[in-house]
Amino acid sequence: MSEEEYGSGKREDVKLIIDGKRVDGRALDEMRPLKIEAGLLHKAAGSAYVEWGDNKVIAAVYGPRECLPRHDANPYRAKLSVRYLMSPFASKEEHGRSGPNRRSIELSMVLREALENVVLLEHYPNAMIDVFIEVLQASGGTRCASLVAASVALANAGIPMKDLPVAVASGKIENQICLDVGKEEDNFGQADVPIALAPRNKDILLLQMDGLLSKEELFRALDYAEKMAPVIRDAETSALEKAYARAGEE
Amino acid sequence: MRKMVFPGDFLADSKMSVRGVYVEDGKSYASQVGLYDSDTGTFIPLEGPYEPQEGDLIIGVVSEVKPNGYRVQTGLPSETFISNKDIRESLSMGDIVVAKVRDVDEVGEITLIDATVLKGGSISQISPVKVPRVIGKKGSMLAQIKATTGSNIVIGKNGWIWIKGGDEYLATKAILKIESEAHTSGLTDKIADFLKKGGRE
Repeated sequence: MSEEEYGSGKREDVKLIIDGKRVDGRALDEMRPLKIEAGLLHKAAGSAYVEWGDNKVIAAVYGPRECLPRHDANPYRAKLSVRYLMSPFASKEEHGRSGPNRRSIELSMVLREALENVVLLEHYPNAMIDVFIEVLQASGGTRCASLVAASVALANAGIPMKDLPVAVASGKIENQICLDVGKEEDNFGQADVPIALAPRNKDILLLQMDGLLSKEELFRALDYAEKMAPVIRDAETSALEKAYARAGEE
Repeated sequence: MRKMVFPGDFLADSKMSVRGVYVEDGKSYASQVGLYDSDTGTFIPLEGPYEPQEGDLIIGVVSEVKPNGYRVQTGLPSETFISNKDIRESLSMGDIVVAKVRDVDEVGEITLIDATVLKGGSISQISPVKVPRVIGKKGSMLAQIKATTGSNIVIGKNGWIWIKGGDEYLATKAILKIESEAHTSGLTDKIADFLKKGGRE
């Protein structure tokens, strides 16, 4: 979105940190509230709904099923297809028609590549696993919320995975590194660094950088995300556990 | 102690070769959501697609009649095949068959033997990992449902269940109840109670 639409002039005019607090009252290393629900769609093999701050994302997993088109079938591993779509009503900005666009095709690809590193695709040769992600409401950091939703939905479907991937965006606002950048911070801040990790061995599954950071700042951003990884994983596992409210009582 | 584990959770220092577990650097980690008993070292996945094994009895629907055999849909990503050599009767499209898995090749395609046509009836589908619960210990759960409803029931390892005759509606309802409560204890008694009340909670 162009800056003049905000009527606030230049980037520097927007105060993102006031008295050590961010615009929504968070500390620099504080995450927005995260709520996850698993297994809410009955026709899907697995599904998840994620509310992360004002982001609302729903993900559904189908398969493994017959690979279509057939020429995409790989005899060594399953094909993972990820479709990320943002609803036309997802935020204040114009998102146009609801079909895939340049942005959503790119995000589908980066999410797919992140998930391909943890999903044990070689268990299902010649098959296809579909992950559909719908962003119902967007407020900065939808790719991270989408990855969390996809990861819970895949676990809910019982697709074998090496780990439950987690994702969070670090960023830089007013020359300070912060965790989980919100919409205003993304629009008027200096950098946005979405990071996806496999929490067990800290493998980086996704790392993008929009804006400029020094080496030290990037490491600090990674450090913030690594610290938050177990917290997000706990939220994911407790959502899955809730889907089996009475599990393990035997 | 039995506890719920999630993908990536550490299970044991030794190599376990069971479904839902993967090994990295000689250590075992869960790859699916499941229940792990650290005393006995058993892992039961709570969710997951059907993974065919040799000798499994599965249910399918004939989807194509070919000169040398039949293609059968079984809910697997790849279609399965019954050769004319392995079946005496002739099948037609839409026939429900129960058959044994003869072998699974490296790309997951399976061939079936000992196919029997199931005439009439209907198919219900449940999650394949819950099939052992529906059968119960030494078939106790299945026997109980059959006795109460008078239905003829055949359970496929792929999670497809054929039901015919008797109180089909009640039998289906009981099976779906077992599926949704598969992870709880005292299920046989609960289902006995459920069947006695005629499907009302």
